[in-house]
Amino acid sequence: MASSVNKNINSKLVLLGDSGTGKSSLVLRFVKGQFIEFQESTIGAAFFSQTVAVNDTTVKFEIWDTAGQERYHSLAPMYYRGAAAAVIVYDITNQESFERAKKWVRELQVQGNSNTVMALAGNKADLLGARKVPAEEAQTYAQENGLFFLETSAKTATNVNELFYEIAKRLPRLQPAPNPSGMVLVDDSHRPAERAASASCCS
Amino acid sequence: MEKKKLDEHEAGPIAHPKVDRFGFVKQEANSPDGLTRSRSAFECEREERRIRKWRKMIGVGGSDWKHYLRRKPHVVKRRIRKGIPDCLRGLVWQLISGSRDLLLMNPGVYEQLVIYETSASELDIIRDISRTFPSHVFFQQRHGPGQRSLYNVLKAYSVFDREVGYVQGMGFVAGLLLLYMSEEDAFWLLVALLKGAVHAPMEGLYLVGLPLVQQYLFQFDHLVKEHLPKLGEHFAQEIINPSMYASQWFITVFSYSFPFHLALRIWDVFLYEGVKIVFKVGLALLKYCHDDLVKLPFEKLIHGLRNFPEDAMNPDTLLPMAYTIKVSKRLGELKEEYEKQHGKVSDSRIKQKLQELNCPDAASLQLDGKKICE
Repeated sequence: MASSVNKNINSKLVLLGDSGTGKSSLVLRFVKGQFIEFQESTIGAAFFSQTVAVNDTTVKFEIWDTAGQERYHSLAPMYYRGAAAAVIVYDITNQESFERAKKWVRELQVQGNSNTVMALAGNKADLLGARKVPAEEAQTYAQENGLFFLETSAKTATNVNELFYEIAKRLPRLQPAPNPSGMVLVDDSHRPAERAASASCCS
Repeated sequence: MEKKKLDEHEAGPIAHPKVDRFGFVKQEANSPDGLTRSRSAFECEREERRIRKWRKMIGVGGSDWKHYLRRKPHVVKRRIRKGIPDCLRGLVWQLISGSRDLLLMNPGVYEQLVIYETSASELDIIRDISRTFPSHVFFQQRHGPGQRSLYNVLKAYSVFDREVGYVQGMGFVAGLLLLYMSEEDAFWLLVALLKGAVHAPMEGLYLVGLPLVQQYLFQFDHLVKEHLPKLGEHFAQEIINPSMYASQWFITVFSYSFPFHLALRIWDVFLYEGVKIVFKVGLALLKYCHDDLVKLPFEKLIHGLRNFPEDAMNPDTLLPMAYTIKVSKRLGELKEEYEKQHGKVSDSRIKQKLQELNCPDAASLQLDGKKICE
């Protein structure tokens, strides 16, 4: 297949998971490279965007960071509906948050779009001494359910970029099936120069 | 009160950060909050005259308030819309919200809730305490007086109404109140708001399914389409709905992620006139930025809706604009329409509870069927 054309893909990504597991912190680390010890609780949802380059494709994630508390559940479907990717976050020092993550996975399997790339992130991996959820247990669960799994730390930046990069890598395979949200754009109309350049070097 | 809190803070281990006049830690190169500039002698004088008028209106400790309110409700409304003087804000909020009466009629109840009752939400509350106004000096100190009082108010409410319990967002409301009044006063103001002492009860904001949030978003969606049709159409094209940008406006009444001086001015009017000011301010923000917003594609649009420019958030231009927008009649109609489609946001339970509270005999106050103060 001729891969000489730079592709830009917009992908809707949603973060789900129990309150206080570090969803906003993961996004903040990924988008701004920052970490704030006392991150304000997310009320409703927050929106961010960040791009990742995978080979000749630029994936722009349109990220919805949702409020984690159970009570906000009724607002969540709007954000995961039509999402190309979902990151389900739990806190490795909190068993309950892992159970809640499983619930999210089940909900997405039933209610969500079957093409959604799902990733399971065991966050706060820097707090090894306080670990309650063994990595093997999460890994096994992820395998059984077809999820991509990583332990991450928004605090130390461990595996954060890797997480989003891995998700991006898994996206193009789903193309060219149209994204139900209608957000997949192959936008090469306004950059003929770049196209010419890549054509000359890569084919 | 403020003085005392600051002194207590100074005893703590944190170095003195630079704060704005409300106590929020200033970030470097922070934009001015519009109030830090030094005031001219003329402005100071005018402010003092205003305070004198207000003091006369409310009397000592609020003794003349009800009388004045009965005689001249329009003067009260006009003055509140211009902003309550900051030094009287805490007291006036309690008077206009009806919380002062609740407090006087239920002595000892708050203490009971804080000290003797346990709440299923305690861990949830603790988890969020340091994540509520983390940039405010009063709430910054770990286990300091700010965090302790925030915890107490939220815990007391979660016991007082176990069905509501604790919901994220309540912390910002309670936090805002605690900057102007004591724990017990803040608790009763929360009760007055959520149980509807003066206006319609707002506990539906926090009940399972967030029924009142859903209703408000439905109403707001329609109002946007009606008041700003061009923008409404643009939102539809870009697949943007109010849930994406306005849910926290309603859930926290602008106390989350909004400039504090603007939030206070909105709260002045909100406590007196009710939730319709939230719709009006929301519409005014969209109206003010209309010509920019209609040009923006999805991503920039979302960003724009969550980061309004500073000039748009100047209370002295935004609020007068908001006051000109009429919504009361349509809000009523849209509420009916919503109820036809989705059923009523049930309020029978709310009324029952309020009756118990209004009872002047504190001994009869009941919580979840059991008497708590005998």
